[in-house]
Amino acid sequence: MSQPTAPETLGTLTDETPVDPNSKRAQEVTGKSPLQIAFGRLRRDKIAVVCALVVLFFILVAVFADLIAKAFGVDLETVSSCEVLECNFASSGVGYPKTGPPYHGFDPSHPLGIAPRTGADNLAHWIYGCRTSLIIAGAATLFASVVGIVVGLVAGFVGGVVDKVLSFIIDFFLTIPFLLAALIIAPIIIDRFGTSDSYETIQILSLIGILSMFGWMTVARLIRGEVLSLREREFVHAARVLGMPTHRILFRELLPNLMAPIVISISLMLPAFVAAEAGLAFLGIGVTGSASWGQTIANAVPYWSNYSLYLWAPMVGVVALVLSLNLLGDAVRDAFDPKTRR
Amino acid sequence: MRRTKAIATLATSAVLVSLAACGGDGTETGEGAAGDGFKGAAETIAKDAERQAPAADVEGATEGGTVTVYLPDDPGPEDLDPTNGWSVTGNSIQQALTHRALTQYSRDDETGEMVLVPDLAVDLGTPNEDFTEWTFTLREDATWEDGKPITAEEVAWGIQRSLDSEAFPSGPGTEYSVHFFAGAEDYKGPYTDKGKKYDAITFDEAANSVTIKMETPFPDMDYWGAFMAMGPAPLGKVSDPPEYGRNPLSNGPYKVESFRPSEELVLVKNDAWTPESDPARHQYVDKWVFKFAADPTQTDELMLSDNTESQTSISAAVTSENYSKFTSTLGERLVQQSSQCTSFWAPDYTKITDLNVRKALAYAYPYESVWQASGEVPGVTRVPANSVMPPGMAGKSDYQVDGEQITFNPEKAKELLAEAGAEGYEIHMAYATGSPTTEAAQKQIEKGLTDSGFKVKSYPVPIETSLYVIWTDPNNKINKKLNLRGVNWCSDWPSGLTMIPSLLRTDATYNTAFFSEESMDARMKEIPTLPQDEQAAAWGELDEQIATEYYPLIPTAFRNDLFAFGSKIGNPTGDGALGAPNYKDLYVTQ
Repeated sequence: MSQPTAPETLGTLTDETPVDPNSKRAQEVTGKSPLQIAFGRLRRDKIAVVCALVVLFFILVAVFADLIAKAFGVDLETVSSCEVLECNFASSGVGYPKTGPPYHGFDPSHPLGIAPRTGADNLAHWIYGCRTSLIIAGAATLFASVVGIVVGLVAGFVGGVVDKVLSFIIDFFLTIPFLLAALIIAPIIIDRFGTSDSYETIQILSLIGILSMFGWMTVARLIRGEVLSLREREFVHAARVLGMPTHRILFRELLPNLMAPIVISISLMLPAFVAAEAGLAFLGIGVTGSASWGQTIANAVPYWSNYSLYLWAPMVGVVALVLSLNLLGDAVRDAFDPKTRR
Repeated sequence: MRRTKAIATLATSAVLVSLAACGGDGTETGEGAAGDGFKGAAETIAKDAERQAPAADVEGATEGGTVTVYLPDDPGPEDLDPTNGWSVTGNSIQQALTHRALTQYSRDDETGEMVLVPDLAVDLGTPNEDFTEWTFTLREDATWEDGKPITAEEVAWGIQRSLDSEAFPSGPGTEYSVHFFAGAEDYKGPYTDKGKKYDAITFDEAANSVTIKMETPFPDMDYWGAFMAMGPAPLGKVSDPPEYGRNPLSNGPYKVESFRPSEELVLVKNDAWTPESDPARHQYVDKWVFKFAADPTQTDELMLSDNTESQTSISAAVTSENYSKFTSTLGERLVQQSSQCTSFWAPDYTKITDLNVRKALAYAYPYESVWQASGEVPGVTRVPANSVMPPGMAGKSDYQVDGEQITFNPEKAKELLAEAGAEGYEIHMAYATGSPTTEAAQKQIEKGLTDSGFKVKSYPVPIETSLYVIWTDPNNKINKKLNLRGVNWCSDWPSGLTMIPSLLRTDATYNTAFFSEESMDARMKEIPTLPQDEQAAAWGELDEQIATEYYPLIPTAFRNDLFAFGSKIGNPTGDGALGAPNYKDLYVTQ
């Protein structure tokens, strides 16, 4: 970022070989915004495209969960476990489904099998688990980034005492161990809202709250650093001299120049939250009321040797989603980074 | 007696348990290799007042070796004070290995039944004519781990401690000593009523005997004497609670090497104990290691692997998903133990006042599905129940409240609700959250209730909090909203006396239904005064009468336990009196 003004900074983003300025192609290039350039790079990145498709697949599954579940003829309804599970102790498969894996052939009405103990349909739980995962990770990312951006902008731009106070708050939150806090907060919430009617919604909201509460600091630090270096630039000084109000300088002058770090941090925050959601559910402090991959994994672990499909389905879901989001995030960072040459 | 292991018949996290009878005459024995379904317990525990020390050798037994016992999902006792012990896990270990009492149980090898035999006493006690005074003459050769002889004064002191409900709130003395010992109403125990004289328990140094006077006739004192709470405690400050509970002085064949609550208890040989002083215990094994709150899955894998470590291990539970594997690989080494236990649903008698609604609840409970969801093996570890008194208990009536065994029948439940004019009746219940089994079981219960025309409001409680804490606390804000609770209870000895009053007497701690009928209370007081041979039948009749007239408790299941023994554990058997592995007679094959 050693270029003196913004337009030139953007210009250096291109990694295309110089072309004849009079050609048609050259004229197109000059009209590109940094986002367009980054997109162009992403499109040519095979891994990024594949990952984007995988992510898109999960998003579609989450959005159209109801339709997909209907199409397969499965649902989340509780069934009497002895209707679908073998309850006769004399049979060899006691405790396991009467139809489908692991002791019987494929059952088209339950493509991923039935969960032991509860008799729940695994596919339905997988589909709705995907929705839960994405809703929680998406919402937490949104909150964390908005809070992080605002705090970072204000701290970096205003400076002085405000910066000191905000930096202290950032550091303070960074010192709180995330897992420990989550473990402590969960029972408090149960105790406080356990008797309320909307316990399940509160559980999801509190999880989003916990995740965003411990996710905004890195964004805030990053943005603050960027703003510190940007605010001494000529275009900011010029805006000030012109008498622009502070909020306009912040959101119209500074924010567009922060697109790259913001997009990058969001794209890396998402997979972290998906993994954290599953991890918390696995520990029994995440979502318990509705379908969740982490919860299914926790339930499936004891069945690994006898009924591996039960564990495989949610594992593949979490791993595929987190891996593709991460790789996509990396690709986005590379695409935005002017120093990358590939 | 309380079982701390997380169970989920009711999505609860604790069970009140106890000393159940076992054995069995004829075909249906109380224990044996698993695989043939549920087993009933024996009618009564036989008594052998003449049993002499030392105990007969177990055939083929050899000395040496270390035995590791895994107790999956069971945090074990919080402390080791004999007076405070009222849990299956704690009592079964301590009574068999470290702490002696007036009497004890011994397993008869031929019949597999438990027999009540003398322990510190030379016989099973001498009652007076109307059972209001019992005298126990003590043996001379019993000693503490430091080699000092156990005196009559120490035994009397130990028994007197059991009267203190405040110092030992979870001890069994709160139920039996307090209700039967003379003048216990005006005496709060040696720690709470410091310095106050209590003369119902006396000792005679010369005759080496202890005499206990009763408030009302108490013919079952010899059974009550088998509790370690009816054993000696060192005099003076040494035995002050709660310090004594951390490192109590042993007098059995083993002593405590180390104890970490909810984690581990290590016992090593007590050299001061001699086989000649004890009519039922052995000292074959060098060292015992008890692992509390073990991971059930890991324990299963370990027991099934038959590696060097697991060959000398015992697991006190088996998960349902591995049940068929265990039956095929372990064979005789998977022991199914009956215990006299019943699980209940307890509709609040003051809130759900209509008998038909209570009956509708019984038809709305999806029995098998709940057992399945909570990891039990339907038909093996849980079977349908009809009465408060568990199978095998003398006097148990085979009555059926509704003519035949109540099963899950949503249609019938709806009919009953319609009859009561209570369609869409709202049920408020608490359940433990944070464990897949309790949550799955609760889902099944909710479905059963909804299908039967009830509306359900469930209150989640973190699994670390026992539901009994909520159910038995009248000031708890959740408890105030509930109209359906539960209780799981096991007999402390084979008598209706240890079941019915504890669950249905007005204001009894574990009367979670808040059942209260004066006429029934009076009858409960009256039965122990009847001639002994009429009591069992009288309890059975009372059980039936209460159920048919009021139906305050809905019996949901009778229970069995499964124990897995490693291939090098000799004499793999269960103790039917306590519903635990038979620690007294185990050895390691060399």
